[in-house]
Amino acid sequence: MANTYDLIIIGGGPAGLSAAIYGGRARLKTLVINKGTIGGLVNTTREIVNYPGYTQVSGPDLMKDFHKHAQSFGVEFLKEEVVSVDLSQEEKTIKTKKGKEFSAKAVIIACGSEPRLLNIPGEKRLRGSGVAYCATCDAEFFEGEDVVVVGSGDQAIEEGMFITKFARKVTVIVLHDEGILDCNKVSAEKAFNNPKIEFVWNATIEEVLGVENVEGVKLKNLKTGSSSELTCQGVFFFVGMVPSTKYLIDTGIEIDRRGYIPVNDLMETNLEGVYAVGDNRIKYLRQVVSAAGDGATAAVAAERYIEELNVFNSNVLQSEKKVLLLFENALINESLEFGTLLEEVNSESADNYKIVKVDMATKKNLAHKYDIKTAPAVIVLEKGKEIKRLTCVLDKDKLKSQLC
Amino acid sequence: MSLQQLNSNSFEEIIYDDCESCLVIFSRKDCHVCKEVVPMLDELKPQYEGKFGFFYVDVEEDKNLFQRFSLKGVPQILFFANGEYQGKLAGKVEEETVEEKIAEVLNA
Repeated sequence: MANTYDLIIIGGGPAGLSAAIYGGRARLKTLVINKGTIGGLVNTTREIVNYPGYTQVSGPDLMKDFHKHAQSFGVEFLKEEVVSVDLSQEEKTIKTKKGKEFSAKAVIIACGSEPRLLNIPGEKRLRGSGVAYCATCDAEFFEGEDVVVVGSGDQAIEEGMFITKFARKVTVIVLHDEGILDCNKVSAEKAFNNPKIEFVWNATIEEVLGVENVEGVKLKNLKTGSSSELTCQGVFFFVGMVPSTKYLIDTGIEIDRRGYIPVNDLMETNLEGVYAVGDNRIKYLRQVVSAAGDGATAAVAAERYIEELNVFNSNVLQSEKKVLLLFENALINESLEFGTLLEEVNSESADNYKIVKVDMATKKNLAHKYDIKTAPAVIVLEKGKEIKRLTCVLDKDKLKSQLC
Repeated sequence: MSLQQLNSNSFEEIIYDDCESCLVIFSRKDCHVCKEVVPMLDELKPQYEGKFGFFYVDVEEDKNLFQRFSLKGVPQILFFANGEYQGKLAGKVEEETVEEKIAEVLNA
């Protein structure tokens, strides 16, 4: 099948591209499926000053370098939106909006996040008529006008300062007490010193007002509970992000109530061969540098997983000899003793069988596949097919009789 | 990109003189949302060949056009039929939404 890959990465931001670089370099047949512009949300950042090795670089330029780097290792790219997945089987399948189907041995989920909507009255209706989410795209439309910025994180304050290049005045609506912003200290200081920026403290936005275009906003003071109106021609929302993981709901992959995917140190999700990296996973720091680290970790973990899968296929499923698949648990004495006995019996009968040991603690997928709950357990396979299961007794003769 | 780019003059001719039923996307080069919406229109265009026109305006190159429609952001897709403005779609719109709007304009 032409659409079969070793590794498919969903999402082409810094996490996905880093995973692609490692996957490509490990000679995995790797495909990145990305629905928008390569680089993802990093493209909305005009200036990055904390990615090691780049003193100052624009988001799009940095992502072009990531992209080129991945391409140099032979990674394939497809511009499409993934709409459904089946990740619970050994062969993972992925369907796109245009009806294309792909399969892979391992999948890395790197879909990132998207701006959160507040869902307040007027927000949706006046989108593009004064309600905006991207300063680079839209700030220029507010030349000489009054603009409100909602939020006080890095993005809100930095974008707010950019908007002052065009707008007459920028009013920042902040949840916190006077003087407290969520953004970094350098940006906060710059904002406080910018004569075009004003702040409204302890406030939230309740409604965007206007008929055809934005005419103002309705604010609520959190301390007093009183409402007030503020005239403006534009509102920019920077109120955080939500993970783009909706298509994964009910696919068996674990997602927390906010939509983020929990993973372990290896970026493994609850499903075998499925990894989550970057902004769509539960994590402490959401930056390009940490996304890149995630991608590298997941790609290496996926590479090892695929390697194990391939070894199992060639050692067990395609073995000329019959295989005794022995499920072991190193913590159970009886399991270890049984293993020794099984090897002894086999060698006494001219090594008729090939014994393959499976550690139940690390190879959970295999135990699950063969529905093994306790160790020791032995499955006899001929040409990859199960022909019987042994009764695991610590009695040499009884064991021998089962193997004849 | 297969969308024909319009300037003030060609906009006048196609929308108001020829009265073509069509859409015009107002976009700019460094807008990341535009980069998702424009290719979607590109792919949609062949299905409407001869029935509905697809055009493109770069707001940086033709400022007077966006000012004329008092647009407050990109991307925005404006719809026209018989030389009259038929409404717009703003921001990141889905293919289905555009198709529905085209059907509405064509059936009006």
